[in-house]
This record gives sequence, structure tokens and C-alpha cells, in this order.
Amino acid sequence: MDAIKFFLNCVGVFFLLYMIGYASFLFLSVAVGSSALYQLKRRNLLKNELLQEYYVPVSILVPAYNEEITIVSTVRSLLNLEYKLYEIIIVDDGSTDTTARALIDAFQMRQIARPIHRVIPCHPDQAIFETQDYKVPITLICKENGGKADALNMGINAARYPYFVCMDADSVLQYDSLEKVVRPVIEDGNVVAVGGAVRPCNGVEIQNGRVVSYHMPSKLLPCMQVLEYDRSFLAARILFDRFNGSIIISGAFGLFKKSTVIDAGGYDPSTMGEDMELVVKLHVFCREHGIPYRIRYATDAICWTQAPETLSDLRKQRRRWHIGLFDSLMRHRQILANPKYGLVGFVSYLYFLIYELFSPYIELFGLATVILAFAVDLINVPFMVLFFLIYVIYSAILSLTAFFARVHTVDLKLGLTDILKAVGLCALEVSCLRFILAWVRATALLGYKSKRNAWGKIQRKKINFE
Amino acid sequence: MGIETMIYIYGAVCVSMIVFNVVYALLLRGSQPRMERRTRRMAAAVETQLQRLDEGKPLERRHLLVLQRRLRRVKNLAAFDYVLRTLLSRQEDSSVQRYLEQLQPSILYLALVYQRRETIQAAYFSYFLTRYMAKKHLPIQSLQDVLLVYLEKENLYCRVNALQALCAFGSAQHILSALEILDRGAVFFHEKILTETLLSYTGDHEQLITLLWTRFDVFTPHIQLALLNYIRFHTGDYVQEMFALMTDPNRDKEVRLAAIRYFGRYPYPPALDALLGFTLDGNPALWEYATVAVSALARYRGPQVVEALKQALHSPNWYVRCAAASSLEAQHMDYMDLMDIVDGADRYAREILTYQLESHRKQKAGV
Repeated sequence: MDAIKFFLNCVGVFFLLYMIGYASFLFLSVAVGSSALYQLKRRNLLKNELLQEYYVPVSILVPAYNEEITIVSTVRSLLNLEYKLYEIIIVDDGSTDTTARALIDAFQMRQIARPIHRVIPCHPDQAIFETQDYKVPITLICKENGGKADALNMGINAARYPYFVCMDADSVLQYDSLEKVVRPVIEDGNVVAVGGAVRPCNGVEIQNGRVVSYHMPSKLLPCMQVLEYDRSFLAARILFDRFNGSIIISGAFGLFKKSTVIDAGGYDPSTMGEDMELVVKLHVFCREHGIPYRIRYATDAICWTQAPETLSDLRKQRRRWHIGLFDSLMRHRQILANPKYGLVGFVSYLYFLIYELFSPYIELFGLATVILAFAVDLINVPFMVLFFLIYVIYSAILSLTAFFARVHTVDLKLGLTDILKAVGLCALEVSCLRFILAWVRATALLGYKSKRNAWGKIQRKKINFE
Repeated sequence: MGIETMIYIYGAVCVSMIVFNVVYALLLRGSQPRMERRTRRMAAAVETQLQRLDEGKPLERRHLLVLQRRLRRVKNLAAFDYVLRTLLSRQEDSSVQRYLEQLQPSILYLALVYQRRETIQAAYFSYFLTRYMAKKHLPIQSLQDVLLVYLEKENLYCRVNALQALCAFGSAQHILSALEILDRGAVFFHEKILTETLLSYTGDHEQLITLLWTRFDVFTPHIQLALLNYIRFHTGDYVQEMFALMTDPNRDKEVRLAAIRYFGRYPYPPALDALLGFTLDGNPALWEYATVAVSALARYRGPQVVEALKQALHSPNWYVRCAAASSLEAQHMDYMDLMDIVDGADRYAREILTYQLESHRKQKAGV
């Protein structure tokens, strides 16, 4: 019995420290994130922005695999961007549906024998189609299936411009997003990558790249993800941006300096989390070679993406993310607490290791310990319930703070129903969804080797943007 | 620290966050009506003064004093900005312009006030100047001197807005001083911003370029590059100077490349030999010179140009080959003249040239 008592005491101390760390990070990220958003709004009101049009040429890369439902509308949305100097490159990664045919028919594309400069290894192309009949050139490259990273590498090889944007085929860029994501490059010559803000588009009506009506999604699951995105992604990424510590740029929307990415070796096709792996690799490459660099996060460069609407799809998505996280952190483990990497090694890496990679195991271990303590009657049940309630309220309020900060600073008008939904669901998100996702992530690594190169298959819906 | 204390701390954080959210929501709700009231009051006062101007009377001294006092608050300045924007969009320009002219002493006073403010406010004030006060016919010497101080602030937007205001005033000497300040500063200033802003200069560009050229060597290559781009977009009269830069091996690489680009825009026969020299130089380390020179050759004619471009098509460097194919296509040659490449043994040269010709043909035919 004494041994169990001692064990439970040790576990108690560990969890106390763990929770203090998490609560402090959460508070810090939401406070810094919200304050950055309010500061950005003030800056824009006081015209602290580049008001003239400065264009850096950008190649937009859209890797696609079985995207026949969404691909045409995605390319149409890209043609609506308010930016002058860009090209669109779609890489069809050996789709088994009619993705390529849909594009060829919709945009009257013609096959052409275009040589491609293969600076980064990738599977060979099978056919290339082009059209110059639109605002910007559109290129379609059909290639052998090799995974998303391989498709992106092909896109980089084909890109004509010095910067490229990678995005998902089922996402929509807001009309001004390209201009906003390029701004950090013009403001700071050392910027090698810029992450855009990815937001769930469920419940949002978009016309010509502009939001015309914003509501919380009607379904519970995407609704909770909206809150989760604001708390975990928006706020945390702003915090990391403060000390050049971002180690994730979402594959749904990011801008990169092509020459640096090529020098670093491009996307790694052997990982499922190619987006995170590339950013971590850029940190390593620039630090090891003594290249001054900045990796920025543009909160006002917005990409609307479909949040999974079923638990099964959400499970697949988070499994993929968790495997990607594991791959990236393990491959570049030399960063951990390495003084050469500064705060990237001591804060960013450590945070992702403990509170993202290990957290599902720690949380499930915590639950198991509670059950054990309950079984041996060594737990103060009312106190535990109170503690859990405080945790739920604390996390829920911070979620709401991040959510309202975003809503206030981009002048979105929310209806009473939306506010009630947000308030009602934030507690459910931290008390239920979080634990479900902890289980999903805890089991994500089972059999990951066989699945790490596969494209994630999530039920697609046509995005309502026209 | 007891666990209870920790719970209390969490509780306090929760309560303060709730209070913050509620207070901010209330402030936000009230901010729009407050701004509207502020703007209405400001508009009424300005309209009264415009009427006086239309009647041939000067602005009331009291109005100037009230403005000086009220515009010290940035929110009032924003309201004033809105009023002026509305007036300029709907009224005859002349009375508003006369109003702005008589406002100059107050604006100069405010420029000194905002000079000491946080940079975000200083940047807004310099934006205000660019929009309303920085006109060629309103050249206020002392205001331009104050703008030079704004340029020294460690804030990019403040610097950009101040430089734009100076360009709108159109004084070459102040632009030169501004560039010297920017060159000394620690804040990165993208050469695109500098070039674009210089292109918006409202004074005599020839005079400005002449003055800047006298101090060209004093600037760092970063500023030099922006200046060369500005000159390239503006005049073809600097061929000799550019030639000297292009052929000077001690110059910065980007500066030399900018000089080569100049000859792509303004063909200059004496530069041909040098361009051919860059094109035919087999040193792989100098591929950037070769690429830019090959692109520049698109505007030059003659058998030696064609021969050099064909030779460049066999370059081991991808970018040189691409540029050569593009320049050869720009020569509008007969297909037969290119048979040696199209039917040749070098697959890389053949592929890139065929692609370039085919792409151009489809584009032209609108196929």
C-alpha cells in the first residue's frame, strides 16, 4: 500500500508540474496571441501597413490526389486573388479519378512538351498541360504517384518564380491572402518562410474570395474545431513567431523562399508530416550554415479549409498530424535543448515534444492513475472533480478569449446563436473532444510505417465560395 | 505552494479573462458611435471654415488653435482624416486645398508633437502628411526637415510613409538626405519599396537622378541597386555610366547585374561585346552574369548574337539555357535557321528551345 501511495504521490507531483507548464503556456499564448491581434488591428487602423502595391513573384503549388470534386473550384478561387504576379501549378499525383480531365476541360488546357529542371528528386512527369488564356499562367503536371511531398517537390522544380506557396487542393485562399503572406518578405529580407492562418470554412459563405457571411458551423464537431484552431494554432503560433520559434507551417497555406528550400533538400517524401518536417529542416539548415533567417506567421493571410465533419475523418486527420509530428521531431532531435538553436530548441521543440507528442500518453496515463487511485480509495473525489472543473473552465475561457480576439479584430459579425454555440461548446471541446483526440493520437503510431507515405483520404465537399 | 493556491490563481486568471472579454466587447460596441460623433463634430467645424474661405475670409484663428489641441490625440486625427477624405471625394478640390494651405502652421506644430510619439502614431501622422499635405505646391521646408527625423525612427511604416511624403513634396535635396539616412539605418528597407517610392517622385526626375548620381558611390550596394532599378525604369540616358558599372569587376555582383539589365531595356551597341563576353564565359561560378546577359541580348540583332545565343543553349546551366531559348525566340528567326538545334544531338538544348517556340506559337495563335 505504501508503495502505491508513494507512486501516486510522485504521479501527483509530476502532474502538478505538467499542468502548471501547460496552463502557463496556454495563458501566455492566448495573452500574447490576443494582444498581437488587437495590436495588428490598431496598426491597420493607423495605416501602419504598406499601402502601395509591391509584388514579389509567387508560384502557387497545388498538389492534388483524387480531388475531382474540389479542384476546379479551387483553381477558380486562385484566379480571383487580388495579386498581379503569380502562376498556378497543379500537380496531379497519379490520381485514379478524373482530377486532370476536370482541369483540362474546365480551363481548355493544352498538352505541351515542357522540360522541367529537376533540382529536387521526384517521380517523373507523365504529361504537362498549360494555358495562358487566363489572368495568370496555369500549369497542370500529371505524374506518377509518389505522395504529397513528392508532388510538392515536382511543383518546386516546375516553379518559375523565386517564392512559392503550397496549399491544399480543398482549400480556398482569401482574396488578399497572397498579398498579406508576401508582406513579411518585403518587410524583412531574411524571411525564408511565412505561415498563413488556416481557418475552418464550415459555416462560412465566401464569394470571390471574400467572406460574405460568417457563422459557426451547424455541426458540433467542426464547431469545436473552430475553437480549437483559435486556441491551439492561432494563439500558439503567434507566440512562437515572437522569437522566431515557429516549427510548423500548415501544408494548407505557407509561403517559402524557393532557393532556400532547394538548398535544404525540399520536402521529404518519406514522412507524412512533410509540412512540419520542412520547417524544422529550414531551422536546422539555416542554423547549421550560419544563414540569418526568419520564419514568420502572417495572421491576416487567411486560407479557408474544410474541417472534418465526422469523427472518422477527424481521426484520420489527427493520426496523420501526429505521425508527422513524431517523424519531424525524431529526425531532427539534435535540436532538443541545443544552445545553437536558441529558443527553438529550448521552447518550441520542448513544447511540441511534451505537450503535443507525449501529451496523449501522459493524459491517458493520468486517467489510468485516477482509476487506480479510485480503486485503492486514495483519491479525494470532490477535490478531483473540483480540479477537473477548474481545468475545464480555465481552458474554455482561454479558448473563448482567443476566439473573440480573432472575431473582434477581423470585424466579423457574430449572431447571438453563434456566440451561444461558442460559449456552450468550448467546455465540451476541452472536456470531451480533447480526450477523444488524445486516444486517437496515442494510437496513431501503431503501424505508422506502412501508412506514412499515403495521401490522407477525407470525405470532400464542394466549398461554397461562388 | 498549496494546491488550493494554484486553484485560486487559475480562478483569478479565469475571472480576469472574463472581465477582459466583456470590457473589450463593450468598448468595441461603443467605439463606432464615439468615432461617428467625433467625425460629425469635426466635419461641422471644417464645413464652417470652408464657407468662410468661399466668402474670401481666412480661417479663424480659434479653429486653428482648437485643431492644434484636438489633433494631438490620434483618434481625433483619424476622425479628421476621415472628414478630409470625404470632403475631397465630393467637393471641389480648390476650397479644400486652400483650407489645407492655411492649415500648414498647425500641421508643422503637430509634426513636432508626433515626432515624439510612439512610432505607430508617428507612422500614421506621416501617412496623413502624404495624403493631404505633401503636395508639390505646398512645399513646407521645415516640414520636410521634420520628415527626415521621422525617417530615422526604427519603424518600417514610419520610414515608408515619410519617404513617400518627401517624394510627394518633390525636393531632390531632401530625397538625397533621406536616402543617406535610410542607408545608415538598422531597419531593412526592401529595394522594391525604395524604387517604387522614388518612381512616385513629383519633382524633376532628371534633376533628382543627376543629384543622386553624384553621391552614388557613397551608398551601400543595397541602395545602389534600388537606384539603378529606378534609373532603368525612368531613363535610357545613363548608358555610359552603366557600362562603366557593368564592366567594373570590383563592383558588387547585384549592382553589375542591374547594369546588365539596363542594356536589356536600352540597347547600346558599344555594350554588345561585353554582353557577348558574359554570355560565352564558360565559368560556372559566373552563371548569373551569363543568364542576365543572355536575356539582355534579346534586344540585339546580328549573326554573332544568334551564334552566341545558340552556344548558350548548350550551357550546362539550366537558367542560361532557358534565357537563351527565350532570347532566340525573340529574334523571330525562321524555323530552318534553328534546325541545327531542333534536330541537334543536345537533348537539353533541343527540348528547351522546342518548348519555347511551341509555347510562343500557341500563345500567338490563341490555341
